Amino acid sequence: MPRVNGPLIVQSDKTLLLEVDHEQADDCRRVIAPFAELERAPEHIHTYRVTPLGLWNARAAGHDAEQVVDALVQYSRYPVPHALLVDIAETMDRYGRLTLSKHPAHGLVLSSTDRPVLEEVLRSKRIAPLVGNRIDPDTVAVHPSERGQIKQVLLKLGWPAEDLAGYVDGEAHPIELHEDGWALRPYQKQAVENFWHGGSGVVVLPCGAGKTLVGAGAMAQAKSTTLILVTNTVSARQWKHELVKRTSLTEEEIGEYSGTRKEIRPVTIATYQVLTTRRKGVYPHLELFDSRDWGLILYDEVHLLPAPVFKFTADLQARRRLGLTATLVREDGRESDVFSLIGPKRFDAPWKEIEAQGYIAPADCVEVRVNLTDSERLAYATAETEEKYRFCATTATKRKVTEAIVRRFAGQQILVIGQYIDQLDELGEHLNAPVIKGETSNAQREKLFDAFREGELNVLVVSKVANFSIDLPEATVAIQVSGTFGSRQEEAQRLGRVLRPKADGHQAHFYSVVARDTVDQDFAAHRQRFLAEQGYAYRIVDADEILAEGTG
Amino acid sequence: MSPEAHSAPRSLAESLRARDDASLGALLRGRPDLISPVPTDLTQLATRAGTRASVLRALERLDRFTLQSAEALAVAGDPAPYGELLGLMGGDERDEAVAAALPRAVATLREQALVWGDDERLRLVRTARELLAPSPQHPSPTGLGPTVREATSGMSPGRVQEIVAAAGLASTHDPVSAVTALTGLFGDRKKMTKLLSGAPDAAREVLERLVWGPPYGQVTADPAAHLRWLLDRGLLLPTAPGTVVLPREVALHLRGGHAHRTPEPLPPAVEPAAVHGPRIVDATAAGQAYTALATVEELLKDWDEGGPAVLRAGGLSVRDLKRTAVALDVPEPVAAFWVELAHAAGLLASDGEADERYAATPAYDTWLERPPAERWGLLAESWLAATRTAGLVGGRDAKDRTLSALGPGLDRSAAPEVRHRVLALLAGLPTGGAPTAGAVLERLRWERPLRGPRRDGEDDLRSRLARWTLAEAELLGVTGRGALSAHGRALLGTPADAPAAPDAAADSPGPGPGDRLPVHHHRPTAAAPLSSSGRATATAAAVRLLAPLLPEPLDHVLLQADLTAVAPGPLERPLAALLGVLADVESKGGATVYRFTPGSVRRALDAGQTAGDLHAFLTAHSRTPVPQPLAYLIDDVARRHGHLRVGAASAYVRCDDDSVLNEILADKRAAGLRLRRLAPTVLAAPCDPAALLEGLRGMGYAPAAESAEGDVLITRADAHRTPPRGAPEPVPDGPPPPDATLLSAAVRAVRAGDRAATAPRKASAAPAGTGGEPPRTGAAETLATVQAAVLTGESLWIGYVNAEGTASQRVIAPVRVEGGFVTAYDHTADEVRTYPLHRITGVAELAED
Repeated sequence: MPRVNGPLIVQSDKTLLLEVDHEQADDCRRVIAPFAELERAPEHIHTYRVTPLGLWNARAAGHDAEQVVDALVQYSRYPVPHALLVDIAETMDRYGRLTLSKHPAHGLVLSSTDRPVLEEVLRSKRIAPLVGNRIDPDTVAVHPSERGQIKQVLLKLGWPAEDLAGYVDGEAHPIELHEDGWALRPYQKQAVENFWHGGSGVVVLPCGAGKTLVGAGAMAQAKSTTLILVTNTVSARQWKHELVKRTSLTEEEIGEYSGTRKEIRPVTIATYQVLTTRRKGVYPHLELFDSRDWGLILYDEVHLLPAPVFKFTADLQARRRLGLTATLVREDGRESDVFSLIGPKRFDAPWKEIEAQGYIAPADCVEVRVNLTDSERLAYATAETEEKYRFCATTATKRKVTEAIVRRFAGQQILVIGQYIDQLDELGEHLNAPVIKGETSNAQREKLFDAFREGELNVLVVSKVANFSIDLPEATVAIQVSGTFGSRQEEAQRLGRVLRPKADGHQAHFYSVVARDTVDQDFAAHRQRFLAEQGYAYRIVDADEILAEGTG
Repeated sequence: MSPEAHSAPRSLAESLRARDDASLGALLRGRPDLISPVPTDLTQLATRAGTRASVLRALERLDRFTLQSAEALAVAGDPAPYGELLGLMGGDERDEAVAAALPRAVATLREQALVWGDDERLRLVRTARELLAPSPQHPSPTGLGPTVREATSGMSPGRVQEIVAAAGLASTHDPVSAVTALTGLFGDRKKMTKLLSGAPDAAREVLERLVWGPPYGQVTADPAAHLRWLLDRGLLLPTAPGTVVLPREVALHLRGGHAHRTPEPLPPAVEPAAVHGPRIVDATAAGQAYTALATVEELLKDWDEGGPAVLRAGGLSVRDLKRTAVALDVPEPVAAFWVELAHAAGLLASDGEADERYAATPAYDTWLERPPAERWGLLAESWLAATRTAGLVGGRDAKDRTLSALGPGLDRSAAPEVRHRVLALLAGLPTGGAPTAGAVLERLRWERPLRGPRRDGEDDLRSRLARWTLAEAELLGVTGRGALSAHGRALLGTPADAPAAPDAAADSPGPGPGDRLPVHHHRPTAAAPLSSSGRATATAAAVRLLAPLLPEPLDHVLLQADLTAVAPGPLERPLAALLGVLADVESKGGATVYRFTPGSVRRALDAGQTAGDLHAFLTAHSRTPVPQPLAYLIDDVARRHGHLRVGAASAYVRCDDDSVLNEILADKRAAGLRLRRLAPTVLAAPCDPAALLEGLRGMGYAPAAESAEGDVLITRADAHRTPPRGAPEPVPDGPPPPDATLLSAAVRAVRAGDRAATAPRKASAAPAGTGGEPPRTGAAETLATVQAAVLTGESLWIGYVNAEGTASQRVIAPVRVEGGFVTAYDHTADEVRTYPLHRITGVAELAED
């Protein structure tokens, strides 16, 4: 009997292993992508995971269990366990038993083709406050404001509702892309298309891969008033700049709604910070959501979505929502909330694939291990637990190593990134470089960033304020001296600072300086996990090598 | 037709005598209990075949239709012609399916010696008739009541006359002919229709209610008019005060002649609910077979270093089962199955030590060495033949004790037969066909309707066994996607290409009403478990079919920079073993994903590997270069491994001047102290500090002892003390002085005893009554005297022999006499006791004081 030799191995824990070098790998990837979540993408074998959420999203996108089972059976190298196939069919069958729809007389209603299921969910304590009167045995009214909430709860109960209630179009506003001398890249087009087809959802693209343009593309599709939520003012300005440059929008059509300015225009860019400002127990700026009939709401860096915005997003289920992020990993594990409130993942591309296409710069990731001196080790051993990380992360040896690396790449644009202000100030002093930190004014920040972009400044020391959305295309070397403990997305974002494709196409360098045999090393291992799973192999070198090079 | 058939047999023995050898052989095969021991002659065989136990057993093995036929015969006349039976089974309209199936049923009954006689005079053996005929205590499944004759047997002739008159029959004074006339009327469809057409509607409703049974109803002393109408005409007959019954003949009329509401002449079909390609079925089954091997191996490897303890009552504790389930990542019932399977295959047993634990047997090591397909063969063969049923684990036995895995009480002798039958049913389907469990169960219930009656909501044992069989066959890879695989088919001993004949029903002899006396009924052969040699051949065939389907072990893994290794298939054993130590398993299935962590690398170093070994190992087995982070990780862990050393020492010598320590080490006399230099100024010794001090002093040094804090210990004679101890309790010579209650009770007892021994007795009761002799009276007199004493409330003096045969005398005041026991207040013992009358040797009344 001929052995089937497919590229896929189906594991009993519902992970799918895809052999990348297999000739059918690309076909297989295309077939399993709709229902399986890419979990890890290292060099040889990519890991996908089949989750109920993924299966339901596939159902929502029009795939049925038969197709999923066929895909698995067709590409699987070994026989697929029967139990797993049965489980997939059963899981997918749960979707769509309940539907949310518009009733001509009763407004939003939840109805079911399977009465026991409706009975079961209505008996749940969490559903009870969200629904109104029973209209008939198979239908129950839902408060329109609870549309997001009820979807979220139903998802948790394992009976996801199919949302047929549709979207409001919002106030129309003409927006066109100005594609002169540039064009949307194929994957950006694909992302926009997937999003538009799905209605709402999240697009995951690596840092530097042009998420802003995906946003602009989506706006050009929607052609309606748009609310853009971003992380900070600098980023808001960059969005504005890009939109003016890339679309038919003019300066006057784009408003900024931030701590300093409160403009509401057809396209408004607001910061999360201003939205979540609280005065006397209320959020005075949340009315921004209702101030216009928005047709599209864009969430930049959706992985940072703060809790109050979550809550308000739940009420905005009738509007199209697009989330943009590079790293949908949250250390608080609220990824599923993002999916249920903004929408499912509509597009995801492995970093290495984009890199292979030349849209982001290849990066050389290096972990430099420094040894603590004997006295530092003793002090570290006796430090209080909560002080331990700070202590080892700011060891003096790191400064010497950083200086050596900066010397080595002299002439290139270098970013030094860290967590602790004392450490950064000290580094700034030794490297003779300006420091951007929380207290630096926005004007000063922009001035320094501009100088850096122009090449007047070669080295910039930044704190975590520069983690996100700071577009510094010329930076080629990043040196990370300390971070927010084991945050995986921070690591990825920081790498993202140097991933903008370089004019001369040369490699980016990312150095993470880590104190050996301390919690710093453990946190570093955790931080690197996301990138390692995306195929970024860290080289590990000893500080002595760097120092020897520096002096030699 | 044989000439003997002309002279009708007059008994079962005679009918057996008329059968040929093959036919007798079929009987004995079907009822093996008849030949243990082998009967001396056919008369004895016939007698034995008529015993209750044997008949019950034979009835239990009948399929539903045959049983229904037997039940119908039990309500028919004795003997009954074939036509009557056909009428009862097929109804007045003569159901064709029934007519076609009935000859086979009758043939089966004949073959099983439950029915004898020719077609004109079919006789159900008497015991079977008694078991199956309806009676008020044991209602028949037919729901029929007694015949008119039976129901009127206790009735006064006058009443019978009245009924006959009311029914519109000619009056006769002879009660027997009156009953016959009534029976005849009830059996005549036309007349009955006419009679019933005059019934009030309410009366008809009553009949409707009773017609399909139970046929009994309650009436008040003054029945309503419609009931009175029925009673008057004998359509309901009284059985007991307040109870009436619908006579059998009336019920049959109302049912259109049917003895059963739904005769089931044909077995419910087992149809494929889904048909999969044979390749998919075989591949899925093979994949699962491989998983089975891996799981058993993992289970026993997990128990390599001290398996779970054996419970005192035998078996695995619930907690250990849970732990095993977690380790294997399966639900508990499935874990129980694997554990039981390994046990059934002889791979796992209790070690029999004082502290009893489960462990792999030596057979396991041999098993491991064999090729995978053969390993599976052993598991499958053991599973098929095992009477132990893992499905019962977690349930409760008759005494409400939890049944534990590997524990007692899991044997069900029906299990192998059911497994074979279920698999044979699957084998009967076209290749790749998977039936629903429901259809299989329905069919099994038809084949053995009597076995294990359904208890409230719970399935009977056979159904549960069948359900487990289906699940376990899938787990073991005998079936794939619910359909029997090629190797599964081979395991049954059926050729893989031709599906077995669906059932004997298809080839049963057809047209005649079964008048050839002994018809050989062929049971489906596949249902019978194979002989041991047959089984070995079948297993070998299955192994041959399975072997090419199992994946080949690989000799390489893929190493990745995120510190994982992926084995894209099963690994060769030594490779898997070392990799299992060097990395943690993250995901299992067709492939295995390993993750390297500092902990796992340290584990490998602890196991005696060096960093160099590990590098060489990874380079040798990786198709791609070893990623730098992984190489670095190994070196980094190796660098720190063994940096700190831990050992045991009982005493040390410390001296700031290392030359003195040099001197001590060099001294030959110190050899006995086995000193070891830990640091320039420290020596360690395995002996205790006192011995070390002694030794050093002997060598002419003046060492001082040190306390745990490092201070010099001052030796001073210190008095030795025990831990806290209390003073000993005094041990008095005799018992403690009694208190007042005890005393008064003792006095009362002594007095009563005294009274018993010395009480003056009435001369009449104890003629020879000397002082201490217990009285002797006859049994009748004893009973009379005791009963009299109950009435008068007097006390009696009795002689009594207890269970050990010791005679004593007691004074009792009888309260009650019943069932051969006297309940009485015993003055001697000062409590109420019960005495068997036959143990009382005699009684005497006490003289009035």
